[in-house]
Amino acid sequence: MSLKEASAMDDEAALIRLSGTLDMAIERLERARPFAKSRYQRPVLDVLGRIIAQPGGLDMVRQRAERMDAAGLFAGSDWDRPEVLLPQLVGNTLVSEDPAFQALEAANLARFLAVADGEARHSNLHQEGARHFLTQVLALNLKDLFGVPDEAARALGARQDVKRRVVTYIADHVGLNDVLSVLVSEIWRLLEQRSIQVGVVKDMIAQIAVALNERGTEPGSTRLGAERLVSALFGPTSASRDDPGLAVYIERISIADDSGLSREAMGFARAMHDTGLVSDYHAAFLTWALDHEERPLIPEALGLGSTGLDCWRHYRGLIEKLIRSAVSPATPQAAYGLAMLLDRGILHHTPMVPALERQLSLRLVGAARERIAIGFGPGVPPETQLLAGVLQVLGQPLGVGQGANPTCQSARAIAMWALNDPDYLLHLVTQVAEFDTLQMQFEGSPINSADLPAGLAGAGPIDADPVSVLLVAHLDRIYAEMGRLCAGRPGDPHTWINPQFHGWWVSRDCAVAVDVATGKLAGYEDFLRRFFAAYHPEHNGGRPLGHPQPAGIAVTDAQQRFVGWHAISILRVAEDQSGQMRVYFYNPNNDSGQDWGNGVVVSTSGHGERYGEGSLKFEAFLSRVYLFHDEPLRSQHGQDIPGNVIGAVSEKAIASWAADRWPET
Amino acid sequence: MTDKNPDKGYVALLGWSLNAIDAVDRFDRRYVVVAPPWAEEYCQQNDIPFVPWDFDRLNERSHELAHTLEDMGVDVAIPIFEETVEWAGAVNAVLLKNPRLLGQAMLFRDKSLMKRRAQLGGIRVGVFEEAHDRGDVIRFLKRVNQTLLKLDGDPNDPIHFKAFDKSGTAGHRVIRTPEDVDNIPDEEFPALLESHLDGWEFAVEAWIKNGKIEFLNISEYVTLGYSVFVPATPELEAHRERITEEIEKLIEVFDIDFGFIHPEYFLTNDNKLYFGEVAYRPPGFNALELIERAYGFNGYQGLVLAFDPKTTQEELDAFFPKEVVDAKGHAGCFGVYPRRRVVSRLEIPEETASHPFFEFHELSDPREQKVAKRSAFGTHWGLAYFFGDNAHDLRDLLKKQEELDYYV
Repeated sequence: MSLKEASAMDDEAALIRLSGTLDMAIERLERARPFAKSRYQRPVLDVLGRIIAQPGGLDMVRQRAERMDAAGLFAGSDWDRPEVLLPQLVGNTLVSEDPAFQALEAANLARFLAVADGEARHSNLHQEGARHFLTQVLALNLKDLFGVPDEAARALGARQDVKRRVVTYIADHVGLNDVLSVLVSEIWRLLEQRSIQVGVVKDMIAQIAVALNERGTEPGSTRLGAERLVSALFGPTSASRDDPGLAVYIERISIADDSGLSREAMGFARAMHDTGLVSDYHAAFLTWALDHEERPLIPEALGLGSTGLDCWRHYRGLIEKLIRSAVSPATPQAAYGLAMLLDRGILHHTPMVPALERQLSLRLVGAARERIAIGFGPGVPPETQLLAGVLQVLGQPLGVGQGANPTCQSARAIAMWALNDPDYLLHLVTQVAEFDTLQMQFEGSPINSADLPAGLAGAGPIDADPVSVLLVAHLDRIYAEMGRLCAGRPGDPHTWINPQFHGWWVSRDCAVAVDVATGKLAGYEDFLRRFFAAYHPEHNGGRPLGHPQPAGIAVTDAQQRFVGWHAISILRVAEDQSGQMRVYFYNPNNDSGQDWGNGVVVSTSGHGERYGEGSLKFEAFLSRVYLFHDEPLRSQHGQDIPGNVIGAVSEKAIASWAADRWPET
Repeated sequence: MTDKNPDKGYVALLGWSLNAIDAVDRFDRRYVVVAPPWAEEYCQQNDIPFVPWDFDRLNERSHELAHTLEDMGVDVAIPIFEETVEWAGAVNAVLLKNPRLLGQAMLFRDKSLMKRRAQLGGIRVGVFEEAHDRGDVIRFLKRVNQTLLKLDGDPNDPIHFKAFDKSGTAGHRVIRTPEDVDNIPDEEFPALLESHLDGWEFAVEAWIKNGKIEFLNISEYVTLGYSVFVPATPELEAHRERITEEIEKLIEVFDIDFGFIHPEYFLTNDNKLYFGEVAYRPPGFNALELIERAYGFNGYQGLVLAFDPKTTQEELDAFFPKEVVDAKGHAGCFGVYPRRRVVSRLEIPEETASHPFFEFHELSDPREQKVAKRSAFGTHWGLAYFFGDNAHDLRDLLKKQEELDYYV
């Protein structure tokens, strides 16, 4: 018996035992007189809480939902009247701090599910009503269904797991057909950000493919959008449209004529640039095309633009080696990374060609090799995974995400280097791959990550891209060490850490909105004026931003409540199509599109954003900034900016994260 | 009130306990709750028969309550809390026309009188004395330790301090040093002082009818104030015969004809049984609930049978199972105290949550972050319940809980 089977049996035994305890607790509740119900509800909820944490537990809850309802589980609470419950409140209850509320909501949803499926009846709840309610719950909580954690979700930890389990269970039973249109637009929204990690999106699309296949949908725009996604992954070209399997596909193209092959290549390129996703057929085609002597199909299949084509002509040998070593059925996305990398023209940057040659011959050793193996499985050698990751990070710098880890600074640094200083990034990759350490300096003192204790991320993430998996544990330790070296200095340590950690281009002066000791706002109006003077083209002499600048954001949730401090970088400040001045920024979080409350909703497309950028109107963005960098020699503090403009920003901040940070005078 | 049998007795519950009311409401006898006036609205809303009464002090109005209940046709009063024991005695003296019942109740309410009466009746008790002020406590502490041939500077053997009229672990202090004595608040005097007995502490719950034990449960303490389980381990149950004899002595000495008693005993290392104290009311720590979990009968309903003068022997025989052999398993509970100075949330320890014996808890979320320093044994923040087939495993599991953090 394997370990997995043994643990499944343990789970089952635990579940059977818990169900016995639950039945006993329900019996006590049933027996109790109405006035004494409340005393016996809590034990039931306590056992429920443990059951829903078990695999298969929700089935058990659902089987007993009607009985628990009749026994009086909901007596004395709002849940006793299911007809007045609001679907928009479900999500928050499922992550309640009190596990009893989580259990109560899970039992409630199980009751709705039982009624929706016709297994149970309720005098105030009709089958259709129950189904509609659950559909709304799903549509409102899709994000949890497909697991793109944001700060708020990450901070919840195990509470979030319960929510995800419950929502997934509902989706499994209600089906996603009704919520398909919501889902499709959600996927397009995520794809437009061009994350490196597309596993989640691929899962979502696979779900849609299943839903379309099983139930079909009404013709219309939803269906069109859904089919575009499904075909991009499972059949983007005429020879692959019917998803024939790789072996059949290769047979087909082996006998195709020139124009047929060209059509295939262009079909792949179109689908890839449309969605950012690379089909497995595409990867197979590229590998096959390397040995197709008659005619080079690679540039067409990568959909290269003029810069990319120019790189192809100069560095064809290197590019072919990169494809051969990086693009595999386990790493199809490397093709998109490579295409984008070529079109960025960074191969013309002198050190890049030798750096990539070095990467091609790099052998991962020791702990570094193990980490990649753990993170990405045994499908292909860790070297292939890492090389694919390198191509993606260099091709999609803004697609780096922190995964479910509190390591926004490290992710931001990797993105910044990929954008600004790609050969330095490859230098770091080589250090860690070969020596399992990173060496940096802080104001002249050498720092060696191997000598340092683990940082915030512990042993480091395994749920991020390969480059992050390799580097973050080390970067995180170095970042923490720099923090320790700043201990005792007055003010925010980021003032010194950020330039030392990221590079010379980080401005050496640093403005902070709050007093570090008290946490209260300090000199806030000057802070705001200075930001205008540093970043707003109309107040800084029209200078565009040369390099991305790290900045600190006070993240708030949709109710404007403070969630936490978060590291981002400001990329550029410019007018959008409608003439609105916007800040375009990079958020190392996996999904930039967030609602920060009071109309501050981060846009990821439609307002002039490039792939991976988030944007906000200048003032809205500023209302959430608490730290930014500025040149020390240029300290005209924007005294020319009208007071009402500053006041409006200040009000937005005080209505949200700064609500209890107003200094006492 | 439906399905109540008018041929059976009519009982009054003295004191407010939702558990007791729930159980009795589900039983076949008519009942009325006698409780403070604040409960009136609740009782009206929930159709609970109710007589408002202020139990603060026993005075000439006890007669008024007795006659009110008599006029309603009530047959007997059942005390639910320590504070209502003498009220029940006074009321029952009238209802059952037996003046001796009031005196008996006063004995149960005064720990010192109780102990002297037991001693006079030939029941073995430890060294004890009354204390009216702190000087008495210091003297007792010194004398006990001189008797034990301790020298100055040796750590003292502890003594126990129990406020006269408090129940359970409330007002129960363990005194080792004069500093402990200084920490006793004035309002806890007068009190009973007892020497410390090393040994096995346990409690008994006995339902009595016509001077005869109908059901005798032994509750084994794992640690006083923390944990208890029923039925006891086979090692303790091995003493059941002697324990039964001790209870019969209590029945004789205290002249108990009916009702329910809850005495505590020590079994010392030299295999002697020492009587600690006895209460004429349901025990704390939800012991009746543990008994229900183990045996399947409701202890409060058992109380009604034991008090009701109209109960028949057939009813009793049908109601109570056979001790130990009829138990479905061992049920225990653990009173959780926060162990850390500052706590922010409730988190059941993983090893507890996944233990097959763990059933559920009734713990509250921390309402305040600051943990009050425990002075007396104090009150726990709720109970965690366990049930299993092996008494030793259950005992060890309950003991283990003392080292775990439920509040972090």
